[in-house]
Amino acid sequence: MPIDFLPILVMIAVVAAFAAIALILSGLTGPRRPTRAKLEPYESGMPPFGSAMRRVSIKYFLTAVLFILFDIEIIFFYPWAVLFRQLGLFGLIEMGIFILILLVGYVYIWRKGGFDWD
Amino acid sequence: MPDLNTWLLISPELILTVFGLLIIVIDLVGREKSHAVLPWVAILGFILAIATIPYLAQDQTIFAGMYAIDKFAFFFKAIGAIGGILTVLISIDFLRTRTPAKGDFYLLLTFAVLATMMMASSTSLLMIYLSIEFLSYMSYLLAGFLREDKKSNEAAIKYFLYGAVTSALMLYGLSLLYGISGSLNLADLTKQFAASSDLSVKALGIVSFTLLLAGFGFKISAVPFHQWAPDVYEGAPTPVVAFLSVGSKAAGFALLLRVALTAFPTFHAEWIALLSVVAMMTMTLGNLVALQQTNVKRLLAYSSIAQAGYMLIGVIAANVSGASPFMGLNGVLIYLAAYLFTNLGAFVIVVAIENATGAVEIPEYAGLVKRAPLLAALFVVFFLSLAGIPPTVGFIGKFFVFGAALREGFLLLAAVGVINSVISVFYYFSIIRAAFFEEPKDATLIRVPGVMTASVAICAALVLLLAVFPQSLIDLAGMGMGMFGIARP
Repeated sequence: MPIDFLPILVMIAVVAAFAAIALILSGLTGPRRPTRAKLEPYESGMPPFGSAMRRVSIKYFLTAVLFILFDIEIIFFYPWAVLFRQLGLFGLIEMGIFILILLVGYVYIWRKGGFDWD
Repeated sequence: MPDLNTWLLISPELILTVFGLLIIVIDLVGREKSHAVLPWVAILGFILAIATIPYLAQDQTIFAGMYAIDKFAFFFKAIGAIGGILTVLISIDFLRTRTPAKGDFYLLLTFAVLATMMMASSTSLLMIYLSIEFLSYMSYLLAGFLREDKKSNEAAIKYFLYGAVTSALMLYGLSLLYGISGSLNLADLTKQFAASSDLSVKALGIVSFTLLLAGFGFKISAVPFHQWAPDVYEGAPTPVVAFLSVGSKAAGFALLLRVALTAFPTFHAEWIALLSVVAMMTMTLGNLVALQQTNVKRLLAYSSIAQAGYMLIGVIAANVSGASPFMGLNGVLIYLAAYLFTNLGAFVIVVAIENATGAVEIPEYAGLVKRAPLLAALFVVFFLSLAGIPPTVGFIGKFFVFGAALREGFLLLAAVGVINSVISVFYYFSIIRAAFFEEPKDATLIRVPGVMTASVAICAALVLLLAVFPQSLIDLAGMGMGMFGIARP
């Protein structure tokens, strides 16, 4: 029933209110002494350079997608590791097949030059 | 923990998974010469998948009610696999001159058929979404497979953008349904709808069905979710178009039928009204715009939109109780089987001509009868069948669909359908007119490879034979009505 989702609505309202109050209060009460370094965009400690609108090579995209792919693969290992004893041999064989399928994909990327930078 | 028996029930799917992986391994390990074997590996996989179907137990759901093993799903699995076989047969020659990458193509195609099989069996909201997305991604990749070809890229991007939007709409509908029932199972949803007299549940149910229709309508190319079709049909590799027009459409109808009949029987009147409007728009728009087309592939795109409209009439008239031969549901199944061989046959000819001469415009088909007499003659057969004129199997399909509409009292729908069939004759025969009654600019004979001739001959033979002896097809479709969760007389 839609009424069952009322707690979620309350949660959304609380979160929004908390964020708004925290921002407004710190903006009103906090001291403000801007320096050049403070106003620069934060880029993980690197000094920013160039325009943010310049084109980025598609190669980074491929790397990122491949990373996500194998990252998700690892996530699937966690539930298996937690239930390793209960699942027993069945789980082991299942996981072997799972890895085998991904291994074919891995070899595919390798042979097709997905890991080559140039 | 599922036992071995459960795994045997999904053996068609497992076979296709194994063969897909096998294709990629052969592609990676084998030398250039061994790549010629790849299409035949794919075909072997499809044949084995079909061969297991008669041995599977039926009328149950597995994996906690997520996956139905029933005759309805078997029917669509067979359609998907047969569509896969014919697509591979026309791809061999098409790919040879156009791209060096082949293993990827057959892998994607095998997995696309696998996805249609999963769609046919889905009985859970999660499986429905995942299988539709699975098929969509395979289709986007296949549509953009010719990387050097700008039109192929355009097709893939447009297909992806439309697909992403409709998929988001559908996902929203699925989330509403989950909110109503608190369960992902279609069966639980039915109980929830039947038990509740709450007006807000009713309203949410109708809204979510409309949203789901965006996802299904995209797959079956029903108006107003059809805009991708002309550009994708024009730009994508033609064998891929052949598959999309049949395999993808059939899977979309499988899901639409299953969801409408098993999850929404409470809202029968409402979804019938909604689908009637969609069906009439789809038929009329498809046919009227097809009249304007000069590109054969775009013409077939609008024709396939119109055909989806006729099939929707069968969905609307679907009646699962009663003893008449016109049940609507079997009409859709017969129509889909007829459409499978007819449309794929027409596409074999389009591919054969495109390969030999590069011609895709209707004026370029001038004098085809002098350059390729067999192809021109069979073109007539397929177009007769698409227009629903006897003695072709397309007539049997239209007969059962319109018959069901009349029996259920949808006179307006039947009338619109018949008028549209008459309009369609005009544009199908504009190609025939060019092929038979105009002089060719270049009278050299068109050479057609043996595989192509064989597949077009098989399609044509089935189109004619199934029309003369329709009983086996009618019996199969009658069996295919066995959907899990619906009691049959």
